[in-house]
Amino acid sequence: MFSLIHLLLLAVSAQASLLTLQSPRFSVSDPTGTQIRSEPVSLVQKSSTPVNLTANNVLKLTFQVVDKETGKGVQPHQTFLRFYDEQSGEEGIQPVRVTPGGKAKFELNLARPPLSLPPTTDAPLKVSLIIGSSQYSPLSAELFDLILPLSHPAPVHPDEASFHVLPEIKHTFRPEQKLPPRVISAFFAGLVVAPWAVLLGLWSQISPRAPHLFSPSILPFVLSLGAFEGLLFWYWVDLKLGQVLLYGTILGVFTIFTGKQALASIGNRRLNRK
Amino acid sequence: MLSFRRIFLLIAAVTSAVSAKSSTGDSVLVVVEPSRQNDYSIFFNGLKEKGYELTFRAPKEEKPVIIQDDVPSFAHVILFASETKNFAKDITPQSLVELLSLKTNLIIALSTKQTPLSSLAAEFSIVLPPPGTPLVSYFPERSEPPSVIPIAPDSSSSILSKDIHPVWFSGVPMSLGNNPLLFPILRAPAESFAAEVDGGSADALVDSAEKGGEGLWAGSQLSVVTGFQALGGARVTWVGGVELFSDEYAKKEVSKSVESGNKKFASDIATWTFQETLVLRIDRTEHHLVNATSPKEHYTTGDEVEFAAYISKFNPKTGKWDPCACRKDIQLDFTMLDPHVRTALPPVPGAPGKYGTAFRVPDRHGVFKFVIDYKRKGWTHLHSSTTVPVVPPRHDGYPRFLSAAWPYYAGAISTSVAFLLFSALWLAGDVREMKKSKGKSE
Repeated sequence: MFSLIHLLLLAVSAQASLLTLQSPRFSVSDPTGTQIRSEPVSLVQKSSTPVNLTANNVLKLTFQVVDKETGKGVQPHQTFLRFYDEQSGEEGIQPVRVTPGGKAKFELNLARPPLSLPPTTDAPLKVSLIIGSSQYSPLSAELFDLILPLSHPAPVHPDEASFHVLPEIKHTFRPEQKLPPRVISAFFAGLVVAPWAVLLGLWSQISPRAPHLFSPSILPFVLSLGAFEGLLFWYWVDLKLGQVLLYGTILGVFTIFTGKQALASIGNRRLNRK
Repeated sequence: MLSFRRIFLLIAAVTSAVSAKSSTGDSVLVVVEPSRQNDYSIFFNGLKEKGYELTFRAPKEEKPVIIQDDVPSFAHVILFASETKNFAKDITPQSLVELLSLKTNLIIALSTKQTPLSSLAAEFSIVLPPPGTPLVSYFPERSEPPSVIPIAPDSSSSILSKDIHPVWFSGVPMSLGNNPLLFPILRAPAESFAAEVDGGSADALVDSAEKGGEGLWAGSQLSVVTGFQALGGARVTWVGGVELFSDEYAKKEVSKSVESGNKKFASDIATWTFQETLVLRIDRTEHHLVNATSPKEHYTTGDEVEFAAYISKFNPKTGKWDPCACRKDIQLDFTMLDPHVRTALPPVPGAPGKYGTAFRVPDRHGVFKFVIDYKRKGWTHLHSSTTVPVVPPRHDGYPRFLSAAWPYYAGAISTSVAFLLFSALWLAGDVREMKKSKGKSE
């Protein structure tokens, strides 16, 4: 993004003098002082292998800022090291102390990390050097990639999560009721119905008779009793309470008359006989 | 004289071809020093062409008042008086915050001087550098002083149009706090930093960094134009320097024969802040059982329920609300104190503006709410809550006629049949005389 502007404006830039670095080096040393890795830094090309810094090692960066033509040391206004994590977008700017003679030294000790270090993730940090001065052309170069141990993530506002997609929540329902096998239910239903077999068997021996069943005084009452049983079955299957009470009341009034008629006729029959 | 100009502008606005309307009103109050008013003529004329009614006022003038008897007098307020330390009685940080809660949008410009507006910025979790330290950058190399910086806007921002040329800026950077209602519209370039106006020294920069806290102001985490969407819906844009809107920067070239993007950028900021773009609303919501069309008074646990929301977006060109299937990440919560179900509410293909989903009502009974609570940076917040009772099943709502109950059905039915048979036999039968009636002969 900024390189586009850089290229566009380089054509119209003033003829300012150039700065360069003299003997830029970085080194990684362990706590005892032995150097694990020490390399010169190139301004035109990034170091190919990333610098891996574990908890006890120390990274040192030394260079001297000089005027390209005269070779004299210069103290620029802005000498920054920029640590940038491309994945998370976190950035840290660390100014480097430069003496009036141009000598600069920067030390990164993870035991006392500088406040400007951004929170680190798995991705390497891009380290670049930014030098700006009012008398010289500005200088910016990517130095190397830095891999640091994982740190805590940056603190987040408690409401921040509601500005993004929240995890889905599914409700766990009660499991469906499990029924016993139908064979068992059929068997026990058969057990319940078994006494009918006994009854029907015994009746076949006696051969009971109902001679007055179809006389006009008995039959309506029997039918209305049957209608009540039918209403009961209908209530079980389909009806609501209000409906069944209504139908039951109507049927009940009817049954009162038929019942009176039936029982009176039976009573008369018995008395007459007697 | 003022009224003549206003009448002329009204006629011009009505007959102009290009007009973008705001969804909340067209009256704008501009608080600016009268001597600087003509410096921003390109920006103001752009607003007038779109159809806004501008009223100008000096910071110390008593009238027109921005808020009277708790009613805001204007729909939008622009505060360009970035260096004024004393405002009139009605412009105070408290009255500006009250305006926001009454849905008035603001554009506020800051400067390196300490003004009442800088203390207001702190209320929005915006931290400003110490007074007298503007943003400077030596990159890219240019003939302008280091405090005048070209910044290329982020092309992925939903507020700015695509392909805006780099924008000239001079002013203060802002450090943003954690507040999720705040978001950067234009970030400072990575090589920029805040330094004293007269130059400052390298040692001062290093010392400020070692001091800790907000010591060093540098890098792309700083923001130069910040947007804030209040919970009530009002929008505020904080601009680090009022020169961004000036004619001088709008006409300045950012490179050989490439115009600066200031005019377009300023117009985009005004478009967003004045509620023209990225404005949504929920027209209505509906809920019903999956195969029905009208809502039920209450639902039963375990029902399959369908919920739909109709969302439309404001179209500034026509001034109307068009149905929009633009947001793909809306979610629906079915909550009773805590969300029991949270599902995505995707746009329904074939019905633009309709977002629908179906799910099963949880096993708990109680009073639930369908809640849409959609907040994204830059977009209007959408809130909707529909209360619906959920009852357990009625006595005949449970599964019936189960195979496990066969023995009980058999028993009850055989009892009924036995009663009928017995009654019939008793009523219809005769007492049979015994052939040998020994007991009776006595």
